[in-house]
Amino acid sequence: MNRVICFLSVVLVWAGLLTSPAGAASTASSTKTPIKHFVTLMQENHSFDNYFGTFPGANGIPPTACMPKDRRGLPSGCIKPFSIGGRASENLPDSRAVFNNQYARGAMDGFVSALSARAVTADLTMAHYDESDISYYWDVARQYVLFDNYFSSASGGSLWNHMFWMTGTPGNPKAEKVPAGGFGSLPTIFDRLNAKGVSWKVYIQNYKPAETFRVKGPEPAQVIRAPILAFARFVDDPRLSAHVVPLDDYYSDLAKGTLPAVSYVVPSGPSEHPPGRVQSGEAFVGNVVTALKSSTAWPSSAFMWSYDDWGGWYDHASPPKNADGFGLGFRVPALLVSPYAKRGVVDHTQLEHTSMLKFIETNWGLPALGTRDAGANDLRSAFDFGQPPRPPQLLSSEAPSPNVVSGKSAIIYPAYGGAVLVALAFLGVAAFRTRRRKRRAAA
Amino acid sequence: MSRPRLVVVQDPPAVHVVDPPEEPIVTHDPVTLRPSLVRRHVTWARVTIGACLMVIVSVATFLRLYGLDRVGFNSDEAVYAGQAASIAHVKELTPFFPIYRAHPLLFQALLSVFYRFEVSDFIGRLLAVLFGLATVVLGYSLGRALYGRRAGLATAAILALMPYHVITSRQALLDITETFFATLALYALVRYGTSKKSMWLYASGAALGLTFLSKETGIVLVAAAVCFLALSPDVPARSRDLIGSLFVFIGITVAYPLSIALGGATTTGRSFFVWQLLRRPNHSLFFYFGTALPAIGLLVIVVALAGLVLHRRARSWRETLLLSWILVPLVFFTLWPVKGFQYLLPIAPAVAALAARTLSRLPLRRGVPVPKILLSALLLTTIGGTLLVSSWSRIEPTTGTVLLAGSGGLPGGRESGDWLRSNVAPDARLLALGPSMANVLQFYGNRKVWGLSVSTNSLHRNPVYQPLPNPDVAIRRGEIQYLVWDAYSADRSPKFATQLLKYVNRFHGRVVHAESVKSGNKVTPVITIYAVRP
Repeated sequence: MNRVICFLSVVLVWAGLLTSPAGAASTASSTKTPIKHFVTLMQENHSFDNYFGTFPGANGIPPTACMPKDRRGLPSGCIKPFSIGGRASENLPDSRAVFNNQYARGAMDGFVSALSARAVTADLTMAHYDESDISYYWDVARQYVLFDNYFSSASGGSLWNHMFWMTGTPGNPKAEKVPAGGFGSLPTIFDRLNAKGVSWKVYIQNYKPAETFRVKGPEPAQVIRAPILAFARFVDDPRLSAHVVPLDDYYSDLAKGTLPAVSYVVPSGPSEHPPGRVQSGEAFVGNVVTALKSSTAWPSSAFMWSYDDWGGWYDHASPPKNADGFGLGFRVPALLVSPYAKRGVVDHTQLEHTSMLKFIETNWGLPALGTRDAGANDLRSAFDFGQPPRPPQLLSSEAPSPNVVSGKSAIIYPAYGGAVLVALAFLGVAAFRTRRRKRRAAA
Repeated sequence: MSRPRLVVVQDPPAVHVVDPPEEPIVTHDPVTLRPSLVRRHVTWARVTIGACLMVIVSVATFLRLYGLDRVGFNSDEAVYAGQAASIAHVKELTPFFPIYRAHPLLFQALLSVFYRFEVSDFIGRLLAVLFGLATVVLGYSLGRALYGRRAGLATAAILALMPYHVITSRQALLDITETFFATLALYALVRYGTSKKSMWLYASGAALGLTFLSKETGIVLVAAAVCFLALSPDVPARSRDLIGSLFVFIGITVAYPLSIALGGATTTGRSFFVWQLLRRPNHSLFFYFGTALPAIGLLVIVVALAGLVLHRRARSWRETLLLSWILVPLVFFTLWPVKGFQYLLPIAPAVAALAARTLSRLPLRRGVPVPKILLSALLLTTIGGTLLVSSWSRIEPTTGTVLLAGSGGLPGGRESGDWLRSNVAPDARLLALGPSMANVLQFYGNRKVWGLSVSTNSLHRNPVYQPLPNPDVAIRRGEIQYLVWDAYSADRSPKFATQLLKYVNRFHGRVVHAESVKSGNKVTPVITIYAVRP
């Protein structure tokens, strides 16, 4: 009888342990990879060729590229890709209609003509940045992983792509706008994380809690960049809305060592959306990455950032068609920084925004949100978990270099060594002669 | 049968004006003296001298080695050690320390030989200690050549205990090598004075060449040598020998410009020269009278002066030489706008020799009951005691927030650098108050550190330091990730300390590391590192 009681006690204790919050937490914190902190950031409106079209080793701008000014066959010539240099950037149109015209049923030759009818400088689409413009990004690409086959998820603009980033769906398939009542009960990655007890936060730069989907008129930019604010439950339920915080909390969480498992970072001004200054966005990304690298979370973290859509800029790679009819969109830049990231690799795996969701789901054992993320490739090809975690490199090419002119050292030993030998010879001869003289005198 | 009579003449009488012999002379009665007795006495004298010298060197070694690396390098030490590391191609330090800066590279080249195996602050200082001990032994030879063995011992003892020499030879500075070779040059001049053999004049030129190759300020001692020869008609020098020894000097010193030219650093060398000429004064006119002279020992100086007064009638070329060796650098460095605590170290052996002269020739009248040697020993013990107490107190690390450059290590600097190396990304960039702290942190931390006080005006900064034209923008762009405040620089330049703390407040500064010194129950922060972000 006593044995039965003992057995039942042990079973009850174990059952209690397994059902306790602590037990849940330990399950939630377990990951399939050494990555315990995944941070993702979405910048705006640049195509892959626009940023990395001349990056060595990447699938960049073809040497023969020349975009016709007019697709109707009129003899108007073509425009070759060119370095943007000191030219000012413009906010090029990036609606679905523009995408279709530029895509041109797969001919990929409408980038200039699609913009000619609009009030922009059409040839600007062929401009590209290079190392002298975005040196930090190029440094990152050289040290970590650059994806050159990463497509925006939707062949449209910002809202659809941001929705894919957080929910794996376009949200509102009918129009690229937030429905009047928000996105209702559409599941998000945050619901999945909550259900599994995995910590998460959305850090928003210049966060204004009052700016949600309920604001009258056009959607505030904050809602487009962070569509979580277009969900009534994440706005109204304090337990959920507590996860949406100002960006300052990101830095303090890093300092305190309380960075959650999954972090979404949402920029405000420095999102690189033209005509905004690209270098401001680059500095912003640099600061966010540097803060992570300088923290205790670094050895078990991964930071990935991409761009919501192509922003009207030229990209030569034709995007694959997806069954759901929303994409894919043109390629956008995407980079991964992690102590486990491969060093200086251009990863050619086909990826899109939902690939980040796929990685989160795989790493923390979450169910997929929909068919898009379920079918996407994840990021594993970019990691090498067999290597020890790399020490952080802050990479700040814009900073003035130490500029140390060390000089050649080969001459130093002969010059100084020779001088010492000559001096010792004089002293030695003087001492020797004196000693000899004394000996003679003594003799 | 009469007993053999032995007379050992160690020193000439105090009132004699004639030169003392180069070596003590053993005279004996050729008829009655047994050779074995002579040998025994000579051996006994040698053993006694050797034992005394060994005690002196042992004490000197203890004072120089005790707690040698308790505190890390100061800025100058970090620079010289960094140069040595660059010569040795130590890849962690080469980006921060260019080989060619202001000074010649004899000490750094010697140190670099050891740094090919391991870079350590202890090794750097140990090399300085060895030169310091060699100078003490050389001090004995100098004193003996000038005034006999007893004076030689007193010179060595004073040098061994002198705080100025002790604290400088505990640091990896150029001045200790310079002082060694300067003493060698002085010794060679003494030998020239006593023997009148031109080879010693050439040897002094060679030693002065090495003095210059240790530190370019050694050229002042050439003026001291010329001054001596000009003022000493009883030490004549032929023009041929003078020109010859000058050529020897130039031939040796040519290693400095030659290495700069062939090393591709001619512009750097020129920039340094211009900068040194146009530098603003860093201390008051009588800086040395409040720092270096007390460190030599006021009692030592008083005894040296007293001897000059008391034996004024017995003055010879020896005193002219020593006074030239002391006064020329003293006057020069007092008038020269750029001053450093340790700059006058080469005069220390000459001061010690003058004091030793007094001690070995006490002008006692006949009939005084106290034996002369006992009184000398008593005086030497008193002087030695005061020097020892002073040296002992000075080798203790400072517990305040004021640090005179060249007077010792920098508390907290090594620890902060080690923390940087362990906890901060290799390509992180820091902004310190000034280049001094930057040098130390770069040496130990292997991270790029800018100095806030480095002027953007090239006439007002050391050419090797790069200014950060707009620190505010650099922090906003994320080019600077850490700010470093330190009490020592803040004490010297409160304006920049205020500016740096403004940046700390403006850019969400968060303390990530702090070092402090403890004095009794009082803990004073000396170095604080802040992480900043835009």
